[in-house]
Amino acid sequence: MAFLEVHNLTKVFGGLRANNNISFALEQDELVGLIGPNGAGKTTLFNCISGLHTSTSGRIIFDGEDITALKAHEVARHGLGRTFQVYVAAGDLTVLENVMVGCFMRTRFRSRAKANAIEILKNMAIEDLSDYLVNELPVAAQKRVTMATAIGSGPKLLLLDEVAAGLNPSEIEGIMASIKHIHEQMGITVILIEHVMELVMKVSHRLIVLDYGEKIAEGDPETISKSPLVIKAYLGERYAREHKEGLAKD
Amino acid sequence: MEAIKNALDFSDFPRVDMFVAGAVSIGLIVFPIFPHSSFAMATMIQFLMFSLYGMGWNTIGGYGGQVDLGKAQYVGIGAYTTAVMLIRWDIPFWFSMPIGVCLSVGWSFIIGYPLFRLKGHYFAIATIATSLVLKDLFEVWDFVGAARGLEISPIKYPPPDFMRLIFREDIYYFYVILFFFFIGILYINWFRKSRLGFQLRSIKDNEDVARSLGINVHWAKIKTYAIATAFVSMVGSFHACYIKSIEPEDTMSLDISILIALMAMLGGAGSLWGPIIGAGILIPLKSYLKEWLGAQAGLVGIDLILYAIIIMLISAFEPRGVWGIVEKLRRRKRN
Repeated sequence: MAFLEVHNLTKVFGGLRANNNISFALEQDELVGLIGPNGAGKTTLFNCISGLHTSTSGRIIFDGEDITALKAHEVARHGLGRTFQVYVAAGDLTVLENVMVGCFMRTRFRSRAKANAIEILKNMAIEDLSDYLVNELPVAAQKRVTMATAIGSGPKLLLLDEVAAGLNPSEIEGIMASIKHIHEQMGITVILIEHVMELVMKVSHRLIVLDYGEKIAEGDPETISKSPLVIKAYLGERYAREHKEGLAKD
Repeated sequence: MEAIKNALDFSDFPRVDMFVAGAVSIGLIVFPIFPHSSFAMATMIQFLMFSLYGMGWNTIGGYGGQVDLGKAQYVGIGAYTTAVMLIRWDIPFWFSMPIGVCLSVGWSFIIGYPLFRLKGHYFAIATIATSLVLKDLFEVWDFVGAARGLEISPIKYPPPDFMRLIFREDIYYFYVILFFFFIGILYINWFRKSRLGFQLRSIKDNEDVARSLGINVHWAKIKTYAIATAFVSMVGSFHACYIKSIEPEDTMSLDISILIALMAMLGGAGSLWGPIIGAGILIPLKSYLKEWLGAQAGLVGIDLILYAIIIMLISAFEPRGVWGIVEKLRRRKRN
């Protein structure tokens, strides 16, 4: 049995099929990218998996348990963490306090939550920011705080929703390092939604492509970047031309 | 153990705060020794009572961001429980007060469960409605004296009676409520650092994110609402013994609900000192304005105009109240 299994997941909003019959599976220690054009249903898929939306039909099995009908906070307690696309972090809490909110999921004691939060901040190399209010920080740092907060809750699987959106190239490098660190050093399985191709192509072991709510392709980054269907739906001819040689070399 | 340590630990506040808080505490303790009018004493007791109401409201309204405008119903439940038990069965305050808290908390679960399915303004309106319905019920319920209310006659119990909390001099009431006041501060100091306190601040910020961090949002709100209720009900019981005459109109009216919320919002919702600052500004202003203007020039209702102005100023300029201004200035200085 795979670590995360999604079977025939469908989510309908009124007349719109945001997710249509999506199935995929994922092993522990994988790092999977989820790509596709805007409105393809990527975030909806995340919301269904993490329990914020109730799926219309289909089953989700995580770590051997059926989490399809669970509420969001129950899914989180099973060890499934996530970040949000637009939301950054609680602005009137300090960085440390934000991460502590996550840590409080696993303990009642403030001292333990605090020690755990400090450890995570050190691990993510942002411990020098711990006393700042989140809204005093630049966007790249805020994104790291959201990731640290989600990690605070001790997830086995982390869903990252566009953590690199709106960042400049050097900041993207930094976020990429953080994601690799989370995956390799902390041993957390990761699914990431991302539009920044440099990032997602480089770090993912495998890509899942959605378009109009359906899964149109799945495979390793190289195969996906050559797939005519994906090029037509999302990547575009220009991307394919420019990256043909670059990817072949990797 | 850790809870007690956290309750007594104020070290995350700057030294200035600690100095001011210490000075105010000592001032409160020694206040009755100095010559004062009975009016000043009554105002002081009101200040302490409303600080406690405000502290209670601040848990759900301030830290949790759920604007609750129905706290008066719990003042009523607390006050009536104590009064009815004393008059009918001669049960003293220290027993009837916890029973009142239990009844209030029970009622808060019953109405909290459906009410917290609502959000924002809808929640606020629903809390007003439940409070007013309860008041109307009490006005026609003969067992609790209907609209006439209840009268505790002090002649039956020779004061000072510490068990029943019947005193002739206000100074006794002052020290009892001052004791509650200090306990209240320690409790809130623990609360703001507890798991529930952190969960609420997360809920206030974004409920979906809170859920994704394993927080049962609905249950966390209900629990906190019960805590707020316990505070209010406790002081309500005290109110019955202190005023000795209660009726639905002056324990459960909308004015009281609004005043409770206003205290905390004016001082600074979501901060430890906020409700105390708010009560410290509003209560003296209210009593003295009423005394000087209302009674003499026939300007009844001037205090209501004042509340309206304060609400408008807070919402327009500084949603986090007086304490919000203090913190803003501090940050500016630091950066």
